[in-house]
Amino acid sequence: MSEDYTQTTMAGEDHHLSGAVASHTTDTTERYLTFRTENLIFGVSTNYIIEIITNHTITAMPMMPDYVKGIINLRGQIVPIIDIRLRLRKPPIEYTNTTCVIVLNVDSVFIGIIVDAVEQVLDIDYSRISAVPANNREELVSGMISIPDNHVVLLLDCETLVNNS
Amino acid sequence: MDNGMDNMLDMYLFETNSLLEQLDELLIEAEKAGDFTVDDVNEIFRIMHTVKGSSAMMEFTSLMQIAHHIEDLFFFIRENGLDSLDASHKSTLFDLMFRSTDMLRAEVAKVENNKPLSDNVDNLTQEINTFLKKISKSTAEPSKKELVSDKINEKEFSLKQSSDTDSAHLEEIRMDLAECPDDLSAFFLRIFYEEGCGMENLRAFMLVNVLKEFGIEFGYYPKDVETNSQSSNIIIEKGFFLTFDSRKDAESAITQINSMNNIRSYELMENPHAKKVVATQEEKNPIASASVTKENTLAPAAPAANANHPTPNKQNLISVNLAKLDNLVAIVGEIVITESMVTSSPDIQNLKNMDNFLKATRQLRKLTDDLQDIVMSLRMVPVSGVFQKMNRIVRDMKQKLKKDVRLTIIGENTEVDKSIVDSIGDPIMHIVRNSMDHGIEETEAERIAVGKNPQGEIILSASHTANEVIISIRDDGHGVNPASVLAKAKKNGILTKPENEYTTKEILALLMAPGFSTNEVVTEFSGRGVGMDVVKKNVEAVGGTVTITSELGKGMCTTLKIPLTMAIVDGMEISVGKSVFTIPIANIRQSFKVKNEEVIYDTEGNEIIRCMNQFYPIIRIHRLYNIETEITSIEDGILVWVESNEKSYCLFVDDLLGEQQVVVKPLPVYLNSFDIKNSGICGCTILGDGNISIILDVLNLYTAAHNQY
Repeated sequence: MSEDYTQTTMAGEDHHLSGAVASHTTDTTERYLTFRTENLIFGVSTNYIIEIITNHTITAMPMMPDYVKGIINLRGQIVPIIDIRLRLRKPPIEYTNTTCVIVLNVDSVFIGIIVDAVEQVLDIDYSRISAVPANNREELVSGMISIPDNHVVLLLDCETLVNNS
Repeated sequence: MDNGMDNMLDMYLFETNSLLEQLDELLIEAEKAGDFTVDDVNEIFRIMHTVKGSSAMMEFTSLMQIAHHIEDLFFFIRENGLDSLDASHKSTLFDLMFRSTDMLRAEVAKVENNKPLSDNVDNLTQEINTFLKKISKSTAEPSKKELVSDKINEKEFSLKQSSDTDSAHLEEIRMDLAECPDDLSAFFLRIFYEEGCGMENLRAFMLVNVLKEFGIEFGYYPKDVETNSQSSNIIIEKGFFLTFDSRKDAESAITQINSMNNIRSYELMENPHAKKVVATQEEKNPIASASVTKENTLAPAAPAANANHPTPNKQNLISVNLAKLDNLVAIVGEIVITESMVTSSPDIQNLKNMDNFLKATRQLRKLTDDLQDIVMSLRMVPVSGVFQKMNRIVRDMKQKLKKDVRLTIIGENTEVDKSIVDSIGDPIMHIVRNSMDHGIEETEAERIAVGKNPQGEIILSASHTANEVIISIRDDGHGVNPASVLAKAKKNGILTKPENEYTTKEILALLMAPGFSTNEVVTEFSGRGVGMDVVKKNVEAVGGTVTITSELGKGMCTTLKIPLTMAIVDGMEISVGKSVFTIPIANIRQSFKVKNEEVIYDTEGNEIIRCMNQFYPIIRIHRLYNIETEITSIEDGILVWVESNEKSYCLFVDDLLGEQQVVVKPLPVYLNSFDIKNSGICGCTILGDGNISIILDVLNLYTAAHNQY
C-alpha cells in the first residue's frame, strides 16, 4: 500500500528538516507534514517548514490578539508565535509534552505555530486534493484529502495565515 | 554573467549620476557669475566626454548622442576661447546646457527604471548644432587669428587644431597662398590649364559636366564659367577650384581629370576649417582624444571670475557596495550582543579572583565600542548632496514664478546616515517648493511695503544634537494665515472640534493633513495638497518628526528631527511582572520612588504626579499591557519620568534592572499587520541571557495609553 506515500514518523522532539529533504516535490506530488490540533488533522507543505522545536520560552507581546502568544528568539532571529487552536477559535488547552512549535517561512515572513502534536510526512498527490465544500468553508484551509486510515487531512493555507488581519 | 552586467550597470549609473550632479553644480555657479571660466569649460568637456564614452559602451544611444553634441559644442568654445561668445550667446548657452542636463538626467532615470530610452533626441541635438553653427559663423577667420596671437595661453590651442598639428597649419598656409574661396568644404582641388590653350572657362565647364556625369558631389568656383568669358582670366590667374566634402569624391574627380587634355597641374588641399564644424564622427574622435591628452599641459588661464566655485577636491575615496556595509553593521551589532553575553554569562558570575578577567573584559568593551562607532560612521554622508540639489530647484522656480529668492545653506557638512539622506531628499524638495510657491510674496512691491528686503530668502540648515539631526527650512515670506487654514479645513470637513479651540500649533499641524491645501487653483507646483502629507509620512518612516512654526507676515519654518541611528540604543532595562522592557536612556529624565500621599488624582481618577513644579500623568504599564504583577501599589514600584518631543510623563514600573547597550532588532513582519507600532513598541532586543526585551517607544506609548482611556 505504500506506492503513494512514504511514512516518516516523528515524535515531538527537536527535529530539524534540512532544506534538501523538505522541498522534494515532483510535478504531481508534494510533501506535507501532518499535525493534530483538537482532533483535527492538518497538513502543511514542507516547502514552508524551517524546523520543529519544543522547549522554547515565549516572550509575551502586549496588545496583540489572544492567538498571538508572543515572540521567541530563534538563534538570533525574532519569530512570532501563534497558537493555531486559538486562531481557529477552538478552546485552549494546557500544553502537553507532545506540544511543539512548527516554524514556517512563508515568502520570508517568519511565523511559528503551536500544535498539539505532529504526526508524519506524507506525499500528497495534487490530483487527489478536493476542494472544501462551500458550507464548511474555513478561512485557513485550502483543500482536503483523505488518507488510508480513514482520516481526512485539512491542508493549511499558509499564505492566508500570514496575511491575516 | 548577469552579475557582471549588473555591476557594470551599477557602476555606470553611479558614475554618470555623480558626473551629472557635478555638472549641475558647476552650471549653477557659472550662471550666478554670468560666465564660464576656462576651468569650467574644460570640466564640462571632460564630463561630457566621459559620459559619451561610457554611454556608448553601454549602448545607450540617446545619451551618447546628446553628450557627443555638447562635447562638440564645448570643444569649439574651448578652441576659440570664451570671448567668441557674446552676452546673448551666453544666456542661450546656459539655457541649452540646463535643458541638456535635464534631458540626460531623464534618460538616466529611464535606464534606472528599466524603461526604454528615447529613440530620437534630434530636437535637442539640432538645437545644439544650430547654436554651434551660429557661434562658429560669428567668429570669422581673421579675428580668430588675432585671438590666437594675442593670448599667450591660447597659443597652445592653436597648435592643436587637428590631430596632425603641422600638416593642418601647412594646409592653412597653402590655402591662403592659393587664395581658396571662402568655403567650408573639406577639400579643395585647384586646377591650372596649360598656358595659352584658350577658352579656359569653357574647358572648365566641360570638366564640370564630365564630373556631373560620373555622379560626383562637388562644387566649383568661379561659378559663372558657362556664361562669363571673363572668368577665364580668373581661372588663368588663380586657377579653377573644385570643392569636395569627402576624399573619395576628390579622388574620383582626380581620376577624371587625369584623362583630360590641357590640364597643366592640379593641387589637392584639405580644409582644416571644415573639419571643426562638420560633425564627421571618424575625424572627431582622433581630435578629441589627442586634445584630452594635451589638457594636462595647459597652463591655468586667468583666475576664475567666481572665486566661490569649489575646485573638485581629490579626496582619497573608495566606493563600497552598500549591501556589504549593511552586512558589516549587522555583524558588529551581533558582536555587541555576544560580548555582553560573554561578560554577563551566569557561569562566571560566582567566581572569585576575576581581576585579570575583568581587566580584559574592560579592554574588550572599549574596543568593541570603538569598532561600533567607526562602523556607524561609515554609513554617514554629508547632507550637502541633498542641499545642493535644492539650488537647482530654486533657480528653476525663480524663473517660472518670476520671484527673486536666494537660497542660503548652513551646516551642509553635517553627516547623516545614508538611508536617511536618501529619504529626506523628497520631503525637503516639497517644503522648498512650498516656500517658493506659497510663502514668498508674489511681487517685490509687497515685500518692500512691509519693510522686507526685496529679495526673498530661504534658509536650509542642518545641525546635530545628542542623538538627533535637526534640519530646518525657513523662509521669510508672509507666513501662514491661521484663519484661512481653519477656513479651508472647515470646508474640507476635517475639523474635529470647534474652531476657537484650536491652538496655533494645532492649526499648523492641520497643514499636514492629507489632501490639504489653501490654494484655490492647482498650479504646476502645488495645490493638489499632496506635499506636506507625504513629507510627514516619509520623515516618520525613518523615525523622525515634522513641526511647523510660523509668524504671520514674518515667515514660516519647518523643522525635521530625525534620530541619528536606529540600530544601537543605550537602554534602561525595567521589569513589569515577568516581562522585561527597555526604555531608551535618551528619553529618561529621572527615576524616583514616591509615596502614596504625593499622588494627585484628576476629575476622572487618573493619577498625576508633580515633578519640579509641573504636573505629569502617570501611566501604569501593567495596566496598559495587561501584565500580571504583584507590584500594583505606587509605593512598591518606581516611577520613571520620560520625555519625547513634547510629551512628558511618568511610567510606573516594578523595578529598574540596569543599563544596557542593546541592538535594536526590528519587529517581525507578521506583527506589523496588527498596528503594533502604535501600541508603544518600536522593536525588540535579545539580552545577554538569550531572553527578549521589548523596546518601548515613549511617544507612541503615550498615544496608546490615551486611546485606551
